[in-house]
Amino acid sequence: MKSNNDNPTFESYNRDPKLYDEIFDENDNVRQTYKTLFELYSEHSAQDFGRLNNKAKSSFFNQGITFQVYGDHEIKEKIFPFDLFPRIIDPEEWEVIEKGVLQRSKALNAFLWDLYHDKNIIKEGIVPLDLISSSENYLDQMNGFDPPGGIYNHISGTDLIKHSDGKYYVLEDNIRCPSGVSYVICNRTALKRALFGVFNHYQAHTVTDYAENLLEILETVKPKGVDVPNCVVITPGIYNSAYYEHSYLAKAMGVELVEGRDLFVENDFVYMKTINGPEKVDVIYRRIDDQFIDPLEFKPDSALGVPGLMASYKKGNVCLVNAPGTGVADDKAIYTYMPEIIKYYLDEEPILNNVPTYHCSRPDELKYVLENVHNLVIKPVDEAGGYGISIGNRLSKDEIEEVKKTIQASPRKYIAQPIMSLSVHPTYIEENECFEPRHVDLRTFTLLGAGKDFVLKGGLTRVALQKGNLIVNSSQGGGSKDTWVLKNNQ
Amino acid sequence: MNLDYNIRYTAKNTYENKASSALWQFLIIPENNESQELLQDDFTNSLNIPVERSINGYDFPTYRIRPKQTFEEIEFTADFKLIKKVENIFEKVSQEFSEKEYEELNSLKFKAENDVFLRYTDLTTLHQEVDFKFDKSISLFQNLQELNSWIKKEFIFKTNVTDIDTDLSHILEIKQGVCQDFTHLFIAIAKQFGIPSRYVSGYLHQGNGYFGDSQMHAWVECCLPNSGWIGFDPTNNLIAAENHIKVAHGKDYSDCPPLKGVVFSSGKNETEYTVQVSSQQQQ
Amino acid sequence: MLARVANNLFWMGRYIERLEHVARYLNVNYFASLDAPNELSQSRQFVLQSMLFMADDFSRTEEPLDEEKVLYDIALNPDKDFSIINYVKLARENANSARDLISTELYESINKFYHFVLNYPVENFKKRGLYDFTVQVTENVSILRGKIRGTLLHDEVYAIIMLGVNIERATQIIRIINSKFKDAVIAQGSYGDTLKNSYEWTTLLKCAESYDMMRRFYRQTPTSISTLEFLILNTDCPRSVMNSLNEVCKHIMVLTREKHPSKDSSAFLIGKVRAKYQFKVIEEIEQDLEAFIQNILDDLNSIGLKLQNEYFHY
Repeated sequence: MKSNNDNPTFESYNRDPKLYDEIFDENDNVRQTYKTLFELYSEHSAQDFGRLNNKAKSSFFNQGITFQVYGDHEIKEKIFPFDLFPRIIDPEEWEVIEKGVLQRSKALNAFLWDLYHDKNIIKEGIVPLDLISSSENYLDQMNGFDPPGGIYNHISGTDLIKHSDGKYYVLEDNIRCPSGVSYVICNRTALKRALFGVFNHYQAHTVTDYAENLLEILETVKPKGVDVPNCVVITPGIYNSAYYEHSYLAKAMGVELVEGRDLFVENDFVYMKTINGPEKVDVIYRRIDDQFIDPLEFKPDSALGVPGLMASYKKGNVCLVNAPGTGVADDKAIYTYMPEIIKYYLDEEPILNNVPTYHCSRPDELKYVLENVHNLVIKPVDEAGGYGISIGNRLSKDEIEEVKKTIQASPRKYIAQPIMSLSVHPTYIEENECFEPRHVDLRTFTLLGAGKDFVLKGGLTRVALQKGNLIVNSSQGGGSKDTWVLKNNQ
Repeated sequence: MNLDYNIRYTAKNTYENKASSALWQFLIIPENNESQELLQDDFTNSLNIPVERSINGYDFPTYRIRPKQTFEEIEFTADFKLIKKVENIFEKVSQEFSEKEYEELNSLKFKAENDVFLRYTDLTTLHQEVDFKFDKSISLFQNLQELNSWIKKEFIFKTNVTDIDTDLSHILEIKQGVCQDFTHLFIAIAKQFGIPSRYVSGYLHQGNGYFGDSQMHAWVECCLPNSGWIGFDPTNNLIAAENHIKVAHGKDYSDCPPLKGVVFSSGKNETEYTVQVSSQQQQ
Repeated sequence: MLARVANNLFWMGRYIERLEHVARYLNVNYFASLDAPNELSQSRQFVLQSMLFMADDFSRTEEPLDEEKVLYDIALNPDKDFSIINYVKLARENANSARDLISTELYESINKFYHFVLNYPVENFKKRGLYDFTVQVTENVSILRGKIRGTLLHDEVYAIIMLGVNIERATQIIRIINSKFKDAVIAQGSYGDTLKNSYEWTTLLKCAESYDMMRRFYRQTPTSISTLEFLILNTDCPRSVMNSLNEVCKHIMVLTREKHPSKDSSAFLIGKVRAKYQFKVIEEIEQDLEAFIQNILDDLNSIGLKLQNEYFHY
């Protein structure tokens, strides 16, 4: 590759013409946005990168920015691998993303309101009833309830990919307890420490304003009659895989990080037990799943939640963020109706593309799926974290038959999508001491409050570290990159 | 004409080992609705713990108690006074067959509005065929009456053969059970036919020799397009009327048990409770 | 501040302080015994017994002890409640649950320390790592002390950690005195020395990292009475019981909201305990040292319980 000759760490970088490469165009020239960065990086040797890489790793490890992996026998503490080559998004591209994810969040919020009130979209036959009625994430308890400020999905994490056509597609919306935002900030800090020089050549938006915006959003949905709300973050505890993030957010917002056992409900008000006695709590950013928040109302054996919390919420004495029951709308089956949902509620064309999807619940589509498993990605509708996904062209004949059987056993549980080719991005590969192309996606973070919204200018670029792997989730061995949204064009 | 009711609910919880803290929620307060008016309610306990009033997830009023001391035993007593309207349900419902009723039952609008009570739950899912068949040439109400009497005819009321987790397959097999079981069965069959049905928990006036176990009773409410929600008591093959005092409803038993609790104690615990219902015709 | 988190911070302070004393006790006793002036003090069994006695809640066994096993148990055996590795784990776990309240710098140091101990090669430790390990542990604790003092706001969070640290320090100093006093009693006469002039007093001072300070203050060879006076009553010695009690008193005043603490409060009890020892004289203590030790351990214990009930109840 001629343009790479002057950059030793790119010597073995093989661009795959079938994939969209984020930094090289089809003629192997470095794209405009990345030119300066590429030149700056060519000043470093492979050994330099090796050293920087190790430094970054040990810094993450020492700071305890780790997550737990549940293996068969033990829990391991792992760092979320951080890559030294940042992802850069130029202003025009970002504008579309920002508008697009905000549009989706708003549409989802309107959709949730409708599902828990009049269900007009269903009555009009736009979204099928059985998608809702067969969803385990629909909470009857939310039926007819008006959440403070009319907001359900205060925090949304939208996952985007860039396909080989160079366009962004939304892969999924996460509106339960999307995580990862703390890594956005850590990645920025880590890259600044490792290669601060490069920041002199680029004007990237800050990402550290997330926490202050989150706090503002939480304050907009305070219960009636509260002047300055007491906000808290509730975590399942130090053994939760996202505990670092919970503690980071609490710390950055300057609010208490509580566990269920720190709270109690009296006369439908929520209090936390402090060293000076009970203190009323008004807004709870909860990082506990619906089923665990209140043992009186949901799983009775849950020790993570607070007995009586749901009643306090329904009486309007405390606000839960995100609202319980949002899971019904980020279901992968609902995802496929997003273009219709956006049109229905906002009367707008979707700004971001949806990946075409086949519903195994529909007989004709099921037939297509069964015949084309080898060309499709099969996903369970209600699994998070990349579990249970089968990628058709990676399966043996026997495995394909196995997958077919599983789908036929419960078609409602599966959807299928064409194998999207996630774009690739240069990623430092430790074993080979050089940069190689690896698949990436992008998780954005959108906040909705009463009369205020915010999209974090940046995001979590997740990278599949194994060659050819398309699954970028941290629990499946993915890493991440600092992501720059530029203020000006390069 | 109206009936005056006095209802007394008592419960006693005992714990093998001292319990250090707890939270109980009682879903036992008669509902205020068109046919019944709660005049007075009073709730006390043997430990004199203050009583909080709250709601459950479906907005039915509840009592809550949170002891701060340790305990091995606690007794609760609730007294309710209420007026129940005596009305002829048969006058309210459409008994005549109409195609429109079936059409409406199957309309998306009706289904969407009653979605929650068309949904299957573990306790209201049939895993096998039942002998009861709906007859599409008679009204929905008549069908449900048939279902009511079919259950009464086919099943024997017997306590201690089932518990709250018993699933329908088992009940269909042994052909025995109590009001909860018959209610779940009724709901499952009616839902399968597309009739929104819900589980009702309440008190039964047993003056007339009905089966009700002197505990909380359970029956079904079904939503019919022309008549609204109508109560059926398959345990006694009755239309729920002036002898049925409603407390709450839900998808199945698990949405409305009279007592829910979170107790920090090791070892076994037991709950005993009784219900007394007495009525007087209003002058 | 949450009561649970306060409890965690308190115990974080205690565990950090505790493990340092245990590490130093191992180090000082082991190496002092190598060239001790009398045969008994040089005896491996004697020193191992002493270590185990101090670390494992004053238990003594008649069985002969295995050196590698004792050292491993006290330092790196994760299955022993009293091991240093266990204390480090607990300290980090407590820090974890208060992670949003303590500084990033402090957390990072605790975390690094944790990984250092966790990854310390066990075989190497058993054969030749004792000195290196214990010195690194005590140095790490010094770093933690610095981070606690220098990177936290001196508010309630700091006060609670310091309460834990100082109550633990007083407790550990008393425990070390107890152990070394027992050693001195056992060893007396084996080299013609008296209890008063036992070699063990020097070891005791070194165990408390107070030998140099003591020499500067008294300018004479340590005796039983001067050693005890210095470690118990000297308010200027940062390791003394009295100094710790003064610190405890100072920090509780940050927490209490009462100007004149009510009589069932922690602040009242702490003030009372301090007053009790403030006007003690060493001759009085020396008359019945064992009773004194039991007494002060009980007092420290009751302070811990009082704090628990007043502040950490959740």
